[in-house]
Amino acid sequence: MKKPLNFAVLKYMTTVEIACVDDVMEALKDEYADWKMFKPAGILEVLMTGEKNGLLVEDHYAYNDKGELMIYYRAHEEGREIINSYIK
Amino acid sequence: METLKADVANGELKRVYRKQKGSFLRKGLIFAFASGISYGLFSAFLTVGEASGVWNDFWALPIAGTIIGYLLLCAIGSSLNDLISGIWCLVIAAMKGKMRDFLPALKSKPGLMIVVGGLCGGPIASTCYIVGLMMAGGIAAAVTALCTAVGAILSRILFKQKLNARMILGIFICFFAAVVLGGTTLGDVDAKSTIGMCIAFIAAIAWGVEGCIAGYGTIMVDYEIAITIRQLTSGFANLIVLVPVLCIIANATVNMSGVEGSTYLFFVGGALFSTALIWFVISAFFANPAYSLWYKGNSMCGTALGMVCNSMYAFWCPFFMMVLCGWIFGWEGYTLTPVQWLMALVEVFGIWVIAMNPLDVFRKKEA
Repeated sequence: MKKPLNFAVLKYMTTVEIACVDDVMEALKDEYADWKMFKPAGILEVLMTGEKNGLLVEDHYAYNDKGELMIYYRAHEEGREIINSYIK
Repeated sequence: METLKADVANGELKRVYRKQKGSFLRKGLIFAFASGISYGLFSAFLTVGEASGVWNDFWALPIAGTIIGYLLLCAIGSSLNDLISGIWCLVIAAMKGKMRDFLPALKSKPGLMIVVGGLCGGPIASTCYIVGLMMAGGIAAAVTALCTAVGAILSRILFKQKLNARMILGIFICFFAAVVLGGTTLGDVDAKSTIGMCIAFIAAIAWGVEGCIAGYGTIMVDYEIAITIRQLTSGFANLIVLVPVLCIIANATVNMSGVEGSTYLFFVGGALFSTALIWFVISAFFANPAYSLWYKGNSMCGTALGMVCNSMYAFWCPFFMMVLCGWIFGWEGYTLTPVQWLMALVEVFGIWVIAMNPLDVFRKKEA
């Protein structure tokens, strides 16, 4: 049984140094591409919610190749511990 | 020249960034406000449902005049509302393609936290809230708005969140408003309303606990999946545990004349096959966003700000009850006195002071 999409996004953040929506979409597309919720806006909302609640912190922001804004997030040590303790 | 171009590009990037952040916060605020409005609508339709069809026969029975009978009927109303709301949630989640998340989320640790929150906020809080509503009317909703204060204290104890002088001041404002609300109702009506408000305060405590536990779980679980778990847990716990236990106690302690056959089947079956069910279907429809948007709003714009916006239900409940029960149906007793309205406003102000520094609103505008 696959992890819920939100879990997969947060869990992915504990495996990388920093990541933006494009990175998350690229990393999870094989498993979740056919999910209705697997859209950039939905993934961004998960990341922004994680940041709002202290699980992630913003690192920097820049435009991607398509000229879209990408905010890069980082899971700090405490955030990683919390995510890993709740999501196995 | 190159530096100038870089500065312009950086300025544009910053503007887009701020716009995206602002849009996220605005969306959160809209969700949180909408949750309060939905809460008022769900309360009003629930009140109509429990006063329609077979429910009028239920309330005329001798058992309805006892505390245990009152609790039993309210628990049935609450379980029907939550269970039908759970079904609405399942339909909405399926339409949005989120059902694949349901079972894995339910089996996870955050899912379990939401189950515990649902048990707290469902069987305990919903029943107490409905008893409060039936005994004290819409003013019970203002009392349950104290759940923000309870949440602040619990967050301090459980999650070591800050509790400063401003927040303590807000808690005092809320208590003052609640005391005056009690006094006003006592003077104008009877002791029954005051008991109703005391019972509503138990709901405030239970919702404070729910906000702490389930709110944290919803940071990780999708809000619509979270609310599906919450409503189904609450509905089934009421229907399978609370209502049968209340039936057993009622059978052993009170006059059951007029109740034919099994007490459980008489009331639950009667409510299910009554025309009043349509009102529960409508109340359950609004109960869904009332809770789900509360969770979502809190997670998007921060618990403090989200709860302040949601706590506006202290206005919306009496407002919609006045509109639906008083104005549309012409029922008596659904008009609040000016003092009660004023104290509801004072209470909401107190909650606002607890959750955030009112001066921050102006500071943000200046920034």
